[in-house]
Amino acid sequence: GAMRSRAEVDATLQTAKLNPAEFLPTVHCLSFGPQVGTGECCLLQLEPGLCAELEAGRSLVIRGEKNEQAVLCSKDKTYDMKIADTSNMLLFIPGCKTPEQLNADQASCNIIHSQIAGFSNNYWELRRCRPKLKKLRKLLMENPYEGPDTLKDQTLTFPNYTTEDLLSLIQASEEEIMHQLQVIDACKIEGYWRILEFDYEMKLLNHVTQLIDSESWSLSKVPLCTCLEELGSLEPKEMIEHILLSYGRKYTDDAGEVYFEMHEDKICRAIAQMLLQNAVKFNLSEFQEVWQQSVPEGMTTRLDQLKGLALVDKSSRPETIFLLKVEDLPEDNQERFNSLFSIREKWTEADITPYIQDLCAEKQTVGVLLTKYARSSMQNGVKVYNSRRPIS
Amino acid sequence: RLSPRSAGAGGLAQWVLVELQGEVEPRQSGGLAGRLLGDLHYSHEGIPVLIVGHHILYGKVVQLEKPFAVLVKQGSGEPGPAGPHARYAVTALIKTKLLFKTRPKPIITNVPKKV
Repeated sequence: GAMRSRAEVDATLQTAKLNPAEFLPTVHCLSFGPQVGTGECCLLQLEPGLCAELEAGRSLVIRGEKNEQAVLCSKDKTYDMKIADTSNMLLFIPGCKTPEQLNADQASCNIIHSQIAGFSNNYWELRRCRPKLKKLRKLLMENPYEGPDTLKDQTLTFPNYTTEDLLSLIQASEEEIMHQLQVIDACKIEGYWRILEFDYEMKLLNHVTQLIDSESWSLSKVPLCTCLEELGSLEPKEMIEHILLSYGRKYTDDAGEVYFEMHEDKICRAIAQMLLQNAVKFNLSEFQEVWQQSVPEGMTTRLDQLKGLALVDKSSRPETIFLLKVEDLPEDNQERFNSLFSIREKWTEADITPYIQDLCAEKQTVGVLLTKYARSSMQNGVKVYNSRRPIS
Repeated sequence: RLSPRSAGAGGLAQWVLVELQGEVEPRQSGGLAGRLLGDLHYSHEGIPVLIVGHHILYGKVVQLEKPFAVLVKQGSGEPGPAGPHARYAVTALIKTKLLFKTRPKPIITNVPKKV
């Protein structure tokens, strides 16, 4: 139909018994645009910071495959998406000015014909969530790197993932993904991200620790150059450097030489895993003896190095220890707790903390999680936690 | 990927949200596209007044604590996946809404006098 004229607008004001003098001279005549009702447009409520990111020209990405709940990712954060319903009708209107804008604009025309682009009674709501990174390890473990000599790698038949592949498959922001790759000691081989197969990793580590021993180097001053020279004939130089980076802190001295300060805790922990993976459980004191003997000269083993890797059973006689890796447990909160309670009925806070620490959202404590997912009771004067529901 | 579409010299377009109670229904059948909704006036104090049909709605201008992004589905015409798995582009930002919460005042037209 024809657009409304000023005369028609004034007539309507008169019929409504409204005094035009009480209003700003500019009127918006609102009509429904051609695309309205087609569902092509929808609203996304933005959490603090996201608006600024969009205005700065940065993109947001929605990630998730058909079987996954969609998440929204900014450059460095991940958000769950949920539809929120409202009992009201929301109309979104381009080119509609606020009273402030009209007052500021002295040359404003008398009638603005605004077309409503769309309407809705719901919108997408965002809630910051933990990045879903368990899949990252799972994907890289499909084809762990076993060294250059293996036949498997030469044929390249197994799935291999580039950075781009991971960005499209993992429900997390780019920064969170890149950080996790570093945390799990992944390395790039021929453009693909790889995790080392554990035995190969231990083989590399062993080369380095044996060299440290034979050269009588201080554990805090392991020279990169010499390592590459001495071990370069046994393993690829990139792998030598990778293992040093994984198990040590790189630094440069005043003379410009590159050294590594070895992480005692991480090395002891890896050796413990190597020992523990060979049986269901071990006699604790026997294990501790063998473990201390197996670590490099000058290193001291301590049970607290094994948090999130192994669990001690203090109720068995004799006491035993077994492998329980937090990264093997479910990522979902409720599933994680179900899994832990099916492994052990009652947990002390000290024992369970390493296995739920990673579930904590920003500024959330382990205590909050325990209150929500567990029930506490006293046992022999000690506070213990058990499941809220019966475990089948 | 939600990439912001820059509008000319500035950044993203800024739209306005109008929030009404209840539902918007066309009086005649045939859908809403192209139909008039009403006239939007602002009083000198900045109060929005919307005249819709035979109703007067009074509202207020609200600065949104959490702005909205307007997403437009890409690849129109394709029978693509619905919901979040479709591709979207950010067309505009909404930082302001006109909230009409009061019950509409009906416009009573003069009853013709009997001569």
